[in-house]
Amino acid sequence: MKLVDTTPSAVPAATLPPKPRNPLPIWVAATLAILWLIIIDLDISFEVLAYGVADMGEYFSRYGQPDFSDLSRYLALMGVTLATALWGTTLALVVAFFLAPLAARNFAPNPIAYRLARETLNFMRAMPDLLLALIFVSALGLGPLPGALALGVHTAGFLGKFFAESLERIDNGVCEGVASTGANFPQMVMYAGWPSILREALGYVLYILDRNVRMASVLGLVGAGGIGLALHDTLRLFEYGQSAALILVILATILIIDYASAWLRRRLG
Amino acid sequence: MTTVSTWRWPTPDGRPPLPLLAGMTVLLAMLWLTAPVVEVDFVRLAGSFGKMIDFAAQMFVAPDWAYVPQLLAKMLETIEMTLLGTAIAIVISLPMGILAARNATPHVAVYRVTRDLLSLMRALPELVWALVFVSAVGLGPLPGVMALAFVTVGFMGKFFAESIEVVDNKAVEGVRAHGAGWLQVRLFAMLPQALPDFVGTVMYILDHNLRAAAILGLVGAGGIGYDLVMSMRLFQYERLLLIALAIYLVVTVLDRASDRLRSRIIHGKVL
Repeated sequence: MKLVDTTPSAVPAATLPPKPRNPLPIWVAATLAILWLIIIDLDISFEVLAYGVADMGEYFSRYGQPDFSDLSRYLALMGVTLATALWGTTLALVVAFFLAPLAARNFAPNPIAYRLARETLNFMRAMPDLLLALIFVSALGLGPLPGALALGVHTAGFLGKFFAESLERIDNGVCEGVASTGANFPQMVMYAGWPSILREALGYVLYILDRNVRMASVLGLVGAGGIGLALHDTLRLFEYGQSAALILVILATILIIDYASAWLRRRLG
Repeated sequence: MTTVSTWRWPTPDGRPPLPLLAGMTVLLAMLWLTAPVVEVDFVRLAGSFGKMIDFAAQMFVAPDWAYVPQLLAKMLETIEMTLLGTAIAIVISLPMGILAARNATPHVAVYRVTRDLLSLMRALPELVWALVFVSAVGLGPLPGVMALAFVTVGFMGKFFAESIEVVDNKAVEGVRAHGAGWLQVRLFAMLPQALPDFVGTVMYILDHNLRAAAILGLVGAGGIGYDLVMSMRLFQYERLLLIALAIYLVVTVLDRASDRLRSRIIHGKVL
């Protein structure tokens, strides 16, 4: 006697639903075809790339001896860059603080304000920060201030969107509780809004600060001060030693900030 | 009820919480200390409003319609660079992500090394790498694509690793109980669970890369950025207006599309 009935079930195989079709090969083929068209259109030849790889080994070896003779100047420039990022992030924080509640569906006092705030944030996000920096540089003159403004305007769009999304995720009970005391719009935002998302919001601010430090180090390319300008100049003058030193300074700073913000986020989370 | 009591803080003693107060004080102190470094000058800022309005007024000129075909070609190049860079990065990031996930990595040492490598790759912005690659392989979209792919691997590898780390262990055990090998466990238990997260990550990265690709031309790495800078330098506002509009449009369309797709994925309607 068999313990388990292993004979095929009485239901004939013909009534089983057909095996689902696997569309994966079609998708892969289509993607590859599109990528192939792109490669042709962009005129990327693998020959150039192959030669390039050989050349690149030689090219990167020129960065072998970082020249730290000007280290104090580099560190000062890095300080300017960090300060620019800090000011930019603070500006973004202030703007987002006021715009985000308007752009959150459950807090916005009326639909027009909601749409307006949403569109403003979208617009700020859509303008690349380098374009904004170019505009501010031509209006304000050279220096770190236009850079800070550009970073602030651009990242206010991101921060505002993140904050608004967090505000929309707040448990409805919290909002109802505060609303039932007769709270008006600012009171709703201050008592039901920000306290509920404080941790999340701090995480976003850290992320944006992180991002702004990276961006601030390239804003110098358009004349907005900081270490980017020095890097651009040394690369143009083929001073590989100094370029390597500058890249290392930027890299070290960003890694330190990376670890610091990861540590902070772990403590907050 | 007095107006004072309606605005007390939601803490037992009605005073602002100490960490918040301390944080604000430190922030203000740092801002005050760094103000001279950033050359913050509110007089200059106020005085520049006129110039800013002048600038904005100059933007409103009759657009240079003859430039549109070139603009479209350049925008297409920008989008193509974004797609190609992201596609290359996906192919490299998948294995990197597996190596950098605590529960999928073959060895702790490999995990550590891959993590550090990824954070090195994403440390510098695309523009710096584009500068370096342009010097290495010459002008054109190729160095732009390389820079995009390089930095994107750093971000995407990390995000992939993080979504692999949070997969449900039960499915992994189930597949392993069937006698699946090392690679089979990763392919059939871990990746399918992490796939929705992956799609969200890819959408986010596409968004980010499009913005980055739009400015890579600044250093001669292809795309619309070169025209942007040149029209800025040559005061060709009739072109600048069109370029800014085109960038705004493309970024907004992608932004909306990825928002929609992401919310559908979160609600389980895709995949």
